[in-house]
Order: sequence, then C-alpha cells, then structure tokens
Amino acid sequence: MNDDNHEAGDRLIAAARRLPTDISPERDLWPDIAVAIAIPKHSRWTPMFARAAAVVLLVGASSSLTYLAVKDQPSEAVRPTQVVTTEMVFERASFGGNYRLGSGFQEARGSLASKLDQQLDRLSPESRVEVEKNLQVIGDAIDEINLVLAQEPNNVLLQELLLSAYREELNLMQRIGGLANNVMRRNDI
Amino acid sequence: MNKTSIVFICALLGCPAMAEDINESLDADANGTVKISNTAGSVDVTGWSKKTVEVTGTLGDDVDELIFERNDDKITIKVKAQSSSGMWGRKDISSELSVRVPQGSSVEIATISAEIDVEGVHGEQELQAISGDIETEMFGQDIQVESVSGDIDIVGDNKDAESEIGSVSGDVTVQRLAGEMSAGSVSGNVIVDEGSFARANIETVSGDIVYEAALRAGGRLDVETVNGEVRVVFVGDVSARFDIETFNGDVDNCFGPQAERTSRYAPGLELSFTEGDGAGRVSMSTLNGDVYLCKK
Repeated sequence: MNDDNHEAGDRLIAAARRLPTDISPERDLWPDIAVAIAIPKHSRWTPMFARAAAVVLLVGASSSLTYLAVKDQPSEAVRPTQVVTTEMVFERASFGGNYRLGSGFQEARGSLASKLDQQLDRLSPESRVEVEKNLQVIGDAIDEINLVLAQEPNNVLLQELLLSAYREELNLMQRIGGLANNVMRRNDI
Repeated sequence: MNKTSIVFICALLGCPAMAEDINESLDADANGTVKISNTAGSVDVTGWSKKTVEVTGTLGDDVDELIFERNDDKITIKVKAQSSSGMWGRKDISSELSVRVPQGSSVEIATISAEIDVEGVHGEQELQAISGDIETEMFGQDIQVESVSGDIDIVGDNKDAESEIGSVSGDVTVQRLAGEMSAGSVSGNVIVDEGSFARANIETVSGDIVYEAALRAGGRLDVETVNGEVRVVFVGDVSARFDIETFNGDVDNCFGPQAERTSRYAPGLELSFTEGDGAGRVSMSTLNGDVYLCKK
C-alpha cells in the first residue's frame, strides 16, 4: 500500500509537470464557459473573461490530476486516462452563493484525505498536529474567501484565490502523503 | 571501571543500551550520490576534496544499527531505529550524524525529526524533513527542499538552477538564487533576497512574501497569498506588464500608476500597467494584505 501511495504521488507529480504553465481558453470551450460562468459586461471584459476561463480550466486540470492519481489502477495494466469535464467539477457552475464543488472533485478530495490520514498515523503526534493545523489554515482561508465571494460572486480575484486555495489543499495533502511515505520508507518505518 | 567491566556487569544485570560513537569511512565516486536517512537527531553534511565519505557522530541508545554501504557510485547511510508502536516518546533513537562527502556529490537526505545542515556540496540536492529546520547552500545545481514543520534557509551563488522549495509550517528564506524557482509555505513567510530569476513563483496561504531580487528580461514573477503582505522590490531595471490585485489592502506603487477600486460598492484594488517594453510579466495578488512595489 505504501509503494502504491508513493507511485500514485509520483504519477501525480509527473502529470503536474506535464501541465502547461500558461492556460489559455480554446474557442470550442467558449459555449460551455459562457453558460458556466456569468460574467458582467465590463470595460475590461476580455482579460477578465479570459482569466475566468483559465480558472475553469485550472480547476478542471487540477481535478483531472487528482482523479488520475486516486482512481483505482490495475497494478500491471497500462493506465487509462480519464478526462474530467467541467460538469464533474461544478454541480452548478457559478461562483458565490450558488457555488458547489462537484461530486467528482469531492470524491477525489476525499480519497486524498483518506490516504493522508493513513500517512499521518505514522507521524509523531507533534507532526500530525502541525499538519492538521495547516490544513485548518487553508480551510479557514477557503471559508473566508467563500464568505466574501457570496457578496461578490463575479469577482474574478476571489474566484482565482478560491481555486488556488482548493489547489493548495490538494497539493498539501498529496505532498504530505508523498513526503511522509518517502521519508518513512527510507527510514524503514 | 573500564568498558569491559561495564559490559560484563550489564550482561549480568541487564542494562539499557548505551549511545554508540561512530567513525567510519568508505571510498566514494567524486560525483556520486550519497543517500542519508535519519529518524531523529541531526544530519550535518559537508563537502570536501577527498574521494571518501566519512561518517562520525553518535547513535541513539535504542538504534538497531547504522547501515553504511556502497553500491557503484551510490553510498547509503541509514540509521535503523527500532520500529514499534511505542517509537514516539519512549525510545532514544536520536542520532547525531556528521557526514563528509566529495564536493561534487549529489545528496538525498530524508529525516523524520531531525535538522538538516548542508555545506559545500556542489551536486544536486533533495532534502526532506518531516520536522526540522533545513539549511543548505547551492552551487548551480538543481535543488528540491521540503519540510513539514521547520524553517528552510538556502544560500546560493547566483548560478542558474531549478529550485523547488516548500514548507508547510515554517519560513522560507533564500539568498542569491538564480534561474527558476518555486517557493511556498502554507503558514510561514517567504523571503527572496538577492538573486536573478527568469521565472519565480511564490505562494503562501498565511504569510508575508518579500521579493528583493532581479527579474530578467522577459522573465515572469507570480506572487500570491491569501492572508499576507506582499513586498516586491526589483533590483535593477525591470520591463514587464504588471497585474496587481488586493481585495482588502492598499497598493503602494513607486513606478507611478495608482491602483483603482474594482467596485464602487466593495473593497478591492487593482492595478495594471506596463513598465519598459513590457516583455516580462509580474502578477501579485492577495486577499487580505497590502502590496508594495518598487525598484532599487
């Protein structure tokens, strides 16, 4: 199980490194994005809409990474790829009071959290407390952003920060799990 | 009473294991890899001119053994502690290791509850600690440093390399790094002092970010924090397009253009402008925190 976690972490890292660092929206995504995110008319329409589109793609990319990392994999077979659609990320694809994380995203997040719990059990009580404290820091940040986003659902900065916080949470869980697994394995624990 | 007597008495009466001094060495490849694992205590690594790996220090009372072996160009140093459910808090497994390695070595160090200190090692480095501060120097080779609970301090020599640095709960301080860098902390500050970057990405969730370094022509700097102040002071001229946003804070920009409110009815400031030919890209964002931007 520990080697599986380590390999899953390596696959996640390898998949993350293959991601483009600049995400630009493609024309064929425009109809879905226009339906998914209502953007008000604004004198700076184009750059803000492009950033909103990038946000959707970023979440989709993050979710696809998580999905690839945590879905059950046959041990010997070549790993199939799974494209995660925007609909899997958002149950209702708008930010603010109507924002809900999709079931696919929540499943991936739950799976990572479960694997993390197993790794944390192997750490000292002090280290475990430290990790949980920092997950709480991220959780508090997510709550704070959501609170403000409910008042300003179309604020792109808030949308970006929210998705960044969710990404940071996933990254932290994956990183801690991988780090704990690697350090423990190398120390024969 | 000599050591033989002590051992004899302990064999009769049963004594706890005693700390063991170590002093061992192996011939090594000048540019090989040295892998070090220590459960608790400290790991100090120093590069030297000899083609030898030397290990000195002390092993904890309840350490099983020190593994020290060579396989081609790889040297493994591992403190094997007795693993049991009572490991945390009941057994003395703390071991202090001082390791000298050929200067051109690459090092991979993994500790659970031990500080890591590396000096004078010119190869690539992969340093990981669950709990413990990490200090190192880098000399133009890629480096990956991660700590869950501990500060990270890195001093470079202004030579290009790729750096990935992350702490969960601890400050990250880097000096004279160059090339491409990704640095972050969940709850800790990130300070980038001196150096010159083609690409730098700096993130915290709850912590301040300070960047006082150069950005190369066409370079990219991305800075993001949820709760923290952002201070960016470019060393030398900078030509870039700037995008700056804070939801709840001030923007102080010494380049001239001033931030504007994003909405009449809510807080939030944003600022976009171009300096020079705009070849580079600088983005700075924070939810709660002031942003300061200047050059020197």
